[in-house]
Amino acid sequence: MKLAKYTKFREEKFGGVLFDTRSEKVFSLNPTAAALVGQLRAGCDEPGIVEHLKARFNAPEGAIEREATAFITGLQKQGLVED
Amino acid sequence: MADGNTGVATGANDTADLGAPLYVAWQLTNECNLACLHCIEESGPGKAFRDELDRSQIFDILGQLSANDVPYLSLSGGEPMVHPLFFDMVEQVCAGGSQLKIETNGHFLDADTCRRLKELGVKAVQVSLDGATRETFNRMRVRGDFDRAVAGIRSLHESGVPIEINYSPTRFNVHEIGAAVDLAHELGAYSFYTGRTMYTGNAVKTWHRLAPSEEQYATYFDTLRAKTLEYRGRMRVYFHEQGLLEELRYRLEHPAALLIVLPNGLVKIINALPFICGDLRRQSLGEVWNNFQQAWQDPRVAQFVADLAADPNKTSGLHRWIHL
Repeated sequence: MKLAKYTKFREEKFGGVLFDTRSEKVFSLNPTAAALVGQLRAGCDEPGIVEHLKARFNAPEGAIEREATAFITGLQKQGLVED
Repeated sequence: MADGNTGVATGANDTADLGAPLYVAWQLTNECNLACLHCIEESGPGKAFRDELDRSQIFDILGQLSANDVPYLSLSGGEPMVHPLFFDMVEQVCAGGSQLKIETNGHFLDADTCRRLKELGVKAVQVSLDGATRETFNRMRVRGDFDRAVAGIRSLHESGVPIEINYSPTRFNVHEIGAAVDLAHELGAYSFYTGRTMYTGNAVKTWHRLAPSEEQYATYFDTLRAKTLEYRGRMRVYFHEQGLLEELRYRLEHPAALLIVLPNGLVKIINALPFICGDLRRQSLGEVWNNFQQAWQDPRVAQFVADLAADPNKTSGLHRWIHL
């Protein structure tokens, strides 16, 4: 999975932004989401992304897995990522 | 994790938090091969500004856009493809990883040019097609040639370049909107854009011949609503039914993360207002971006928008710039 052809990502102080340049919609990301997208952009698969996030952010057991899966599903629904 | 879906027009707080613009709309030159009756930029043959940016200034700005990771640029004019550095700029922007849209009248889109645009990786080419027939198009686009524009769009399609069509309504082309949407789809466009034609630029002198009535606009937007449904899933039909005043009132609260760069390097806060927030010949992109944030808070901006409510004809003066 990778960012879709028309999706651009930029890190910001608050986290990051995803910009779908076809629809010209912008999605503001918190630091966790920005880290996830950064890993996605670097070529990590979902298990690798989860491991990275668990190492970087403190969260209750299972929370990062659930949120990451839900977030990636959302990205897929919006057409922001592609296989 | 994601807390909004607010478009390039992110909310005011979001925009203020951004380290750089997300979108730069660069009007490369005021020169144009056409002299369209409705042109909002007062462009035309021999209309290049005397102080347009030189090569060194252009590439300095491009370098700053790349260094600041600006993800999306558009090149327009005038007619951007008459600029001698057009392809040099396209090459640099695309090689830097930003996405690029070209806004053109389509008169220079031969097969070789389109192949080159495809190879360089432009995101899309937007062509203005203000009519579904030769007669209407050529009347509105003085010196323009409907057949040449259509041939250009076909060349884009054959080369695999994504196509957007833009349509400006006037009293003598509103009736063709349905046919124009159909034509856009037949030509392979993935998006169709339209809205209300603005009373500014060349249109000020020709408004008595151009301005659609409210009744015409009502029919126009009804047709567009139907076409939006008809082409759902095949081509996106975007139209802005609200007037300029409503748009500007919204922008006062929610500025777009967008800089408008003029051919001489001056930067406007939005195309539909006369306010200048910087000069890229003398200031860095970072300085201009900071100015942009402040400019939207300047009381003169809100006052101008408020005055528009009483006098919609104030848009006729958008080219008399006000430096904030």
